[in-house]
Order: sequence, then C-alpha cells, then structure tokens
Amino acid sequence: MVDAGSVVLQDLVYGILEGCVFAVVAHGLNLIWGVTKVVNVAHGEFIMLGAYGAYFLSAWFGFNPLLSAPIDALIGLGAGVLFYFGFLHRELRGKETVTLQTEMVTLVATFGLALFIVNLATSIFSVNPVGIPWNPGVVRAGPVSLPVGSLEVAAISVAVIAATHVFLTRTYLGSAIRAYSQDIAAAQLVGINPTFVAAVATALGLSAAMLGGALLTVWLPTGINPLMGQTFAPICFVIVVLGGPGKMWGSLVGGLVLGVIINVVPAFAEPSVGASLALAIAFLVLIPVLLFAPEGIVR
Amino acid sequence: MRLPRFSLPQFSPTFYGLGLVLVVLAIIAPALPILSLRFLTNLLIYTALAYSINLITGLTGYVSFGHVVFMGAGGYALGYGASAFNLPPLAGVALGGAAGLVLALGIGIVTLRFRGVYFAISSLVTALAALQIVLVTPVLNDGRGIGLDVEKVGYPARSWFYTIWLIVSAAVVVTYFATHGRIGYGIRAIKSDEDAARALGIDATRLKLYVFMLSGLFAGASGAVFVWSTFGVYPTVVFDLTFSLFMLAMIIVGGMGTNVGPFLGAVIVYVSYWYALTVPSLLGLAFAAIGVIVILVALLIPEGIVGTMRRHFPGLRRILE
Amino acid sequence: MSVRVVAADVHKSFGGVHAVRGLSLDLEEGRVVGLIGPNGSGKTTFLGVLSGALKPTSGTVTIDGRRIDRLSADKVVRRGIARTHQIPRPFPEMTVRENVGVAAMFGGQHRDPQDALKEANRVLSLVGLEASADRSAGVLTAQERKRLEFARAIATRAKVLLLDEIFAGLSPDELRAAIGLFQKLQQELGFGALIVEHVMRAVFALSDRVVVIDEGRKIAEGTPLDVVRDSAVIEAYLGVDEAHAPP
Repeated sequence: MVDAGSVVLQDLVYGILEGCVFAVVAHGLNLIWGVTKVVNVAHGEFIMLGAYGAYFLSAWFGFNPLLSAPIDALIGLGAGVLFYFGFLHRELRGKETVTLQTEMVTLVATFGLALFIVNLATSIFSVNPVGIPWNPGVVRAGPVSLPVGSLEVAAISVAVIAATHVFLTRTYLGSAIRAYSQDIAAAQLVGINPTFVAAVATALGLSAAMLGGALLTVWLPTGINPLMGQTFAPICFVIVVLGGPGKMWGSLVGGLVLGVIINVVPAFAEPSVGASLALAIAFLVLIPVLLFAPEGIVR
Repeated sequence: MRLPRFSLPQFSPTFYGLGLVLVVLAIIAPALPILSLRFLTNLLIYTALAYSINLITGLTGYVSFGHVVFMGAGGYALGYGASAFNLPPLAGVALGGAAGLVLALGIGIVTLRFRGVYFAISSLVTALAALQIVLVTPVLNDGRGIGLDVEKVGYPARSWFYTIWLIVSAAVVVTYFATHGRIGYGIRAIKSDEDAARALGIDATRLKLYVFMLSGLFAGASGAVFVWSTFGVYPTVVFDLTFSLFMLAMIIVGGMGTNVGPFLGAVIVYVSYWYALTVPSLLGLAFAAIGVIVILVALLIPEGIVGTMRRHFPGLRRILE
Repeated sequence: MSVRVVAADVHKSFGGVHAVRGLSLDLEEGRVVGLIGPNGSGKTTFLGVLSGALKPTSGTVTIDGRRIDRLSADKVVRRGIARTHQIPRPFPEMTVRENVGVAAMFGGQHRDPQDALKEANRVLSLVGLEASADRSAGVLTAQERKRLEFARAIATRAKVLLLDEIFAGLSPDELRAAIGLFQKLQQELGFGALIVEHVMRAVFALSDRVVVIDEGRKIAEGTPLDVVRDSAVIEAYLGVDEAHAPP
C-alpha cells in the first residue's frame, strides 16, 4: 500500500537525480554565456543531437549511454569549435564588450540555427519518439527505489561539473578563461589570446550539452524526439538565470530546483494535467527570479 | 490654456507607395480567381505578422521570440468565441485583436523591465509555457483544439481578404506614426541607448509598452483571421515557434524598424516558402531553409534589404524608409 | 523661489561593495557645488543615485521636500534634474541637432519636433556646436561629445545639472574657454549644478561650495579655499605625511 508521502519522497528523489543531469546541460550553456556573454538559443538542439547520438550508438553498436556520453562529448567539442567560428567569431573579434547589436544578432542567428537543426532533424529522424533500451536495474534504499542508470548518470553529471570547476580554478587555461570572462582587455594585456579562450569555452559548453543529452536518455525511455530541445532549452535558461549566469555551481542548484519541480508537481495534479503543468511552472519560474534579481538584469 | 498645435502630417513617399500598393490590391481583389485571392490573403496574414513583430523587435531592438503567443491568443479568442458564443467571425477578429493587446499588456508590464537578452528568453519561455497551459485547459478543449463549423463559415474568400487587408493597412499607418514625429524620436533613442534616453526624460517604460501592446493587437487579429480561414484553432499549430521564426525572418530580410521592410520581407519569405511547398521533395526542408536564411542575414546583413540600401545610398533615404 | 535638491544620508551598496556611505548634500538652483575626491570614492555612484539611475540602499533624495529617490531616471528629469555621463553617450545614428532636439522634446518643454529642433539650434549655438549641427553624433571628437552631453542637459531645461567630469582632458586654453563658457551659461540660464571633477582649476573657478568625499564618506565641506587646506583632504589625496607637512 503506497501512501502519498512516500510517493512524494520518491518523486523528490527522482527530481534530485534528474536535476543533476539538467545541471550538467545547463552548465554548458552557463559556460558559453558566462564567458562569451552570448546566449546560444540553439543549446537545446545540441542536447537533442547528443540524445540522438546516444540512440544511434546504442542501435548500431549496442553502446549504453555511459559509453556514448564521452563520444558525444568529443563530438560536442568539435561542434563547439565550428559553432564558435561560424557564429561568434565575427561578432566577438576585436571587441571588448558585447554590444547590443551583437547581442541581438547572435540571439536571432542562434534562433535560426535552432529551428534549422530541428527541422533538419525532423526530416531525417522523423517525429516518432525513440528510446534506448538500457536497464541496469534498481536499488532500494528504504522506501525509495533508485534506478541504477539514473544514479550513474547523476554521478557522472556532478563529476563533470566538479571537473570543470577544478579546470577553471586550478589550471592555467581555466584561469585564462575566467580572466577573459571578467575583462577581455585586461586579459589580452597579460597575453591571453581571446579567440582561443572563447573557442575553448564554447567547445566545452557544447560538449557538456551533448554529453548531457546522452545522459538524459536514461530519463527518456520513450522520449527522444527532434522537438525535445524545445523543452530542454528553456529549462537550461531558467537554471542558468536561477543560479546566476557565470556562476558554475549555480547550475547545480538551479538544476536540482527544476528537477524537483518537474518531478514533484505532477504528484499533486491530475495525471493528464501534471506533466504540462509542471513544465509550465518550471518555465515560468524564470519570471519571478528575474524580477527579484540584482540591478544587472532589471533596469 | 494654449491649444496644442494641430497640423496634418505630411506623409513620406514610402507611405504613399505602400498606400498605393494596398489600394490597388483592394481594387483588383473582386476580379481575382479564388485561389489567387487565397494566396494574397495568406500573404497579407504573414505581412501583418511581420508588421506586428517589427513594432517591437524592429523598432526597439527587443527580440520577441515568443511572439507567436499573441497569434495563438487571437486565434483561440475567435475559436472560443465562435464555439461558445456563436460569435460572428468579424467580431471574433476584433476579439482576437483585443486578446492580443491585453496579453501583450500583461506580459509587457513584467518582461519589458528586463534587459534585451532576458526579455528574449522570457518571451520564449512564456510562449512555451502558454502552449503547455492551453494543452491542459478543458475550457479550450485541451489539446484537441476547437474546430469551426465549416458549413457556417463557408468559403468567404473576399471577407477574409478584406479583413486582413484592413489589418495590414492599420499596421502600416501605426508603423508610420511610431517611426515619425515625437514618438519616432523617442523610440529611436530607446533603441540606440535606453539608459541615455531615460536620462533625457524619455519614459522608456511607457513607450515600449505602447508599441508592444500594438504589436500584440496586430498579431492577435492576424491569428484570428488565420484561424477563421483555416477553419479551426489547434494549439500545436497556432503556438508553433516556426511562426516566430517566420516573423523574425521577414523583418530581418526586409529591414528591421523600417516602414516598408516588413512588407518586402513578407513577400520575399512567404513567396519563397509557398514556392518551396509546391516542390514535394522540399517540404520538410522549407523550414530548415528559412532557418538558414535567418542565420545568414542576421550574421552578414543584419540591417536587411531596406536598411542596407539606406546605408549605402544616402540619397535614397528620403524615399525609402 | 529657487529649487532645492537635498540628499540625506544616502547609502549605496552593490553586493559587498559599499560605494556611498551616508552622504548628505544640498543643491540649489543658481549655485554650483563641486564634488571632489580620489578615484573610486563614490562620486559617480552618488551622481547616479541623485539622477535616478540607481536606487539608494537607504537614505532619501528630495526636490523641494518631495522624494525622488525611488523614481526612474526619466521621471527625475521631468522633476528638474538632468545629468551628463562621464563617458558621453550620444545617439550615434542621429545628428547632433537631433540629439539635442530629443532632450528638448522629452525633458524640456518643446514637445513638437519642429519646435524642439529650433530650440536645439539655439542651444547648440550657446555651447558653440552649431557648425556640427547636421553631422552625425557618432563622428564627433571626444571633446565635442562632452559638449554635446552638456548641450543635451541644458536642453532639458533642468533646474539642477549633475555634470560628471565635463572638464576632463582639456588643454589649458580649452579649459580656460570651457570655464568661461560655463560661467556665462550659468549666469544666463540660472541653473544650479553639481560638478564632479578632478580638474581643480575648474572646481576653484566655478564652485560656490566644495564637498570632498573619500571611500563613500564626506570628509570635508566648505569654500574651495577652506577645503584645500583641510588636512583630512590632503591626507586622502596625497597621504598622511603630506597632511602634516608645513604649508
């Protein structure tokens, strides 16, 4: 006999586990946004591509998501470099701050990219959702069950975020990236190559997106479809704003919050309504956060 | 008390040019075969949407990714009005415009406070949330949408045409007044440097809200006509972000913030799209191609056709706005 | 009946940075107050609070007794305070005349664009920019931009002007001319002003009163002569030893 309390507790646990994966994809967006000050509207589409990457690696070679993730990460690095030089380099080169024109141009261009990728994917993959049949079992901890797959991807997600933190704080390149994100002119004065730094940050960001997309497949047994980016992009935006653009650990906090909202809210609503309501709430959380944010965001 | 000085504004050549095109269209419409009328009607729907987004994104630089939400609101206003209250279609269109206006007021009061990037994201998020909410709202038939009674609607091609013609004409006039005179200066200052504009006494909050509300009005009314002419409102259609993509594509190709840019952009983009639809193998890729167009124009010629021409041929500035 | 602007115990913090700590200051139509202090002492931040660009963390700003510290910058302009920016912010796509015209249209009393542009011509000749009236504001030199900032502030017909380092970067001849121009305009138009400055010549020549701040706090106030001899001021600018050296 299952009582309401343990259902909510279970949802809470799911929320935390899924939230970790949300965090790693949002963290990718955060990296690009925080360093280049450019928002990649197409971020969700790279997550989608990562998920499909994992799907095909599973279908063709039998790789499970844990194996596909690093492969996707590598592809993401390449995609990030291409994306940087295709979209950002021209706008950012030689500039010390991001102008309104650059902001607008990159917003619109990446929006175009997003819908281009979605429509291309729909043509190639078809709209029918697919999934990866991987089930390494379930572990019980008291009243809650912990799917092993979810545990593993959550752990990997947190590890990636932690590794990035270490990279940013303990390595030369990482410090260069942080310097660049604070003051481009000053960074150049100490010999940092802005193009290289920005490209690396972008590569890492999209790499995290694709890796996260692969990890997310554990939560989407039937939900990998070309439109999924349009669900995850806003989730990423909300997480980044919640945690603070540029603050790396903020992504983890934001991810956990959204993971919990998306998983726990349906428990309090009717089944047919729950999922949509949860999404709507998760998206709209953005607004009050922005309203009470520091003066940098609000005029 | 001194009376405010009133003088008839002298309109620009561009305005007269647009007016001429519209008048000609209105005159020849009754003589056109139904299919052509249908084509023109769709073209004008997209034109109205282009003018709508131009009013906010083109004029102020605030990128409204979720602009389709106003179209959806207008469409549902007509659909719900027709099914629940037997509202005649024209009243439905008016209601659609009102719905767009009120929704824009509600959203704008909150989101226009945010700086560009955050406004854009809020706009995107709002549209996606709206879709989710509509999908589970029983009064609006949840995800099934609301069909119109095909027999009652008939096929009033001329009514459709003249209704959207009226909306486009109104949009052209409103755009003219928003880009000229005192309001025009205020908005240009806001787009140029909003903080500096405020430091000179410009009530940026109010001006932005006004143009946003007007843009919601036109998107809502167009959405209503769209639903009327497609016999029903379906959430995944009428809240589809692809419409937002189209809107941005049209003004970025034509020229953001200009008077004739939306028209020009609408013609180019819609006709290309319509043509691509007639070639069977291109169907799925038509939208992808529009995405590519948006990318290329945004990165390479962000001022669009009209903007670039005005920049390179200063002599044209008086006649091409 | 001249307009009075009173800042009372204004604090402004940005997260952990306490930029302005309990600053109080009076401004009056017709009188010039100089605000000086070392770099980073909070002068521009304070100016931002007065102009409505920033909201104070605590404290009040009033005009003739009515509070304005929670108002947006544009409302403050309409109540009679206008500012210039340390780094000028012209509208580069508009002409010089249009830049000033916009100020007259919205901050000032010339709502009709035709009237406003005529008023702009008048203001431009007052500050000596009339030859550039038709040029695009984006191509002006740095000095011309400063003058344009000043012209725009004047065009709003504000009773009190907040001027952020408008005398910076001028050659001695240019400085002399600028000081003369300011004096002439101030007498003609009768505005009050807060001049935030590092250029002591200008502060001395123009200020009725000088306020010195350091690390967000007022450390001295008085006539220019009083202030420059104040040991706290010398210490803030030059260090402790100098403060105790014989004059």
